[in-house]
Amino acid sequence: MKLGLGPIPLQGMARHELERLATAAVEASFDSVWVAESRSQGVGGGLAAAALVAQLVPIRVGALVDAGVYHPLHMAEDIAIADLTSQGRLEVLLRGGSDEHLQVLVAALSGAHLRFDGRELRVPARLDVNQPVPATLSLNPRPAQPIVPMWALQRAGALAHDLGLGLASAWSDGIKVPPATGRVPGMLLCRSGADPADLLRAAGESAGYFLIAAGTPPDVTAAGRRLAGPLRMPGFPEWINAQ
Amino acid sequence: MTLRLGLGVFGMQSVPQRPDHHVKLYRDLLEDAELAEALGFEGIWLSEHHFWFDGYCPADIAAAGAILGRTKRLGVGTGVMLLPMHSVEKVAGDATTIARLGEGRLTLGVALGYRDAEFDGFGVRRKDRGKLMDSMLPRLASACRTADPAVPLYVGVASAVAAQRAGRLGLPLFADSTMNPAELRQMLDAYNDAASAAGVTPPASHALQRDVFVTDDRERDWPRLLPELRYMRLQYGGWSFPPEPAESVQAYLSRLESDVEAKLKNLIMGDAVEVAARLREFASLGFDLIVCRSQFGNLPRDLLHSAVEGLGRVRAEVES
Repeated sequence: MKLGLGPIPLQGMARHELERLATAAVEASFDSVWVAESRSQGVGGGLAAAALVAQLVPIRVGALVDAGVYHPLHMAEDIAIADLTSQGRLEVLLRGGSDEHLQVLVAALSGAHLRFDGRELRVPARLDVNQPVPATLSLNPRPAQPIVPMWALQRAGALAHDLGLGLASAWSDGIKVPPATGRVPGMLLCRSGADPADLLRAAGESAGYFLIAAGTPPDVTAAGRRLAGPLRMPGFPEWINAQ
Repeated sequence: MTLRLGLGVFGMQSVPQRPDHHVKLYRDLLEDAELAEALGFEGIWLSEHHFWFDGYCPADIAAAGAILGRTKRLGVGTGVMLLPMHSVEKVAGDATTIARLGEGRLTLGVALGYRDAEFDGFGVRRKDRGKLMDSMLPRLASACRTADPAVPLYVGVASAVAAQRAGRLGLPLFADSTMNPAELRQMLDAYNDAASAAGVTPPASHALQRDVFVTDDRERDWPRLLPELRYMRLQYGGWSFPPEPAESVQAYLSRLESDVEAKLKNLIMGDAVEVAARLREFASLGFDLIVCRSQFGNLPRDLLHSAVEGLGRVRAEVES
C-alpha cells in the first residue's frame, strides 16, 4: 500500500502554504505529495508546480493534470522536464483527454519514433506548406524514469490497460481500489479524514495507492498518524506510532 | 537608467562534442541557478526548441518551476518561448500559477519560432506564425497583466516587422543577440513609430540578449570556446535557413559558414572592465536588461563557471 498526500488544488495556493503542506507530508511519512491543476478554471501549471515541489521535499511528487486541453506532445515535454529536474520522482494522474490524446502521449513518452494518423491528431502533421519536415518525430529529452507512473482518472479499463496506465477512482462509499494494471497499482482518491479501516476495506485483495486530501498541516499530520503509522509499523510501541 | 544583467540562455543540450545524460544537465542547471543567485544576477534565462537530437529544452515553464523551487530570490525568464506552437490558455495558465508559486519571479519572453519541423510537430503552418502571433499576443498580454502577481512579458524580435507588432501593443522587446547596434537602432525606430501610430505609450526600456564571454586570458580560452560557438551557430543557422531546393551541398555549407562568421563578430569577449564598457553602450540605446549568453550548448563546467563568475564581476560593475 502506498499513501500520497493530495492532490492539493493549485488555485490560489501560495508558495509558503504549499511548502508547509509538502513538508508536513514528509514528516508524516507519506510516499508522495500531489498537486492539482484545473484548466477549466484557468489554473494550469500542474507539472511545473510538481517540478517546483520536488525541489522542496525529497519524496516523490505527483501532478493531477487535465489531458486533451492542449497538444499531447506539449504534455509529454512537460512530463519529461519535470521528471528530469526531480531526478525521476514524478507521477502523473490524467483527467480527461480523448483516446487519441492518451495514445500520442504514451507513445511520445516511450521515446518511439512517432508517426500517428488518427481522426483528431496527425503527428507529425506533414503539412505541405511546412518544408522540410521529417516523416516521424521523437520526444527528446525523454524522462529520467524508463516509465513514468501514470494513472487515468475514472476511465474504462481497456485503453488504460493497453497503454500501461494505472486506473484511478474517486472515493465513494463501498468502492474498491481499481485493479492493478501493468506495473502500477490501482489508485483511489480519498476524502479528507479517511478512516484507515475504510481504506483497508477499499483495498480488498490488492495493494492500492491512496491519495489523501488534507487542507492544513495539522490535517496532514493527523492523516499520517492514522494511516502511515499504524499501517506501516504494526506492533511498534505506541510512543513510536504517535510521533 | 540602471542596467541589470541576466544570465543565459540555457537549453540543456547534450552536444555531440560533450554528450551528457539529461539528468545531469538539469542537475547542472539547478546548480548554475544557485550560482547565479549567489552572484546577484537579475535572473537566469531559458530557451526552447522541440524534437532536436541533442534534447534542447522543450518546456521552459516546467524547468522554471524547478529553478523557482530551488532558489529564493533569483528571477527566471523564458528567452524565448515559441508562442505560435502553444495555446495561449496553456501558456497563461502555466505562467500565472508558477509566477504565484515563484512569488513574482517569473518573466515570459515569447517569439515566433522559425523551424518548420517544430511547427509541423504541433500541426501548425509555419507561414501562419505572424497571424497567430497577432491574435495570441494581445490575449497573453492581458492574462499576464491581470494575473496576481503580474507576469512581465517581453516580445522576442529579430526584425523590424516583429518589433512593429510589439510596438502596436506597447510590449517591451527582447532583442535577438545577432543584431548589431545599427540594426537595433533601426528596429527601435520602427517599434516607436508603430507604438505612436497605435496611440500606445511605449515602455521606457527593453531587454537585449548578447553573447558574452568574460575571461582574463583570451588566448587560453578561445581555442576551447570556438568549437562550442561554432556548434551553436551552425545549429541556429541550419534551422533558420534550410538548403534551397536546387542548392548544392557545398554551396549550402559555404552559406552557413558565412553566417557563422558574421554572427561570431557579435560576441563580446574580454575581461570584466572591457565587457562592462561594451554592455554600457547598449544601455544608452534604451536597453535596461541585458541577458548575457555565456552558456553555448554545453560548455565544459570549469569554462562556464569561470565565465559566469567573471560576469558576476561585470554585473557588480555595471549595476553600481
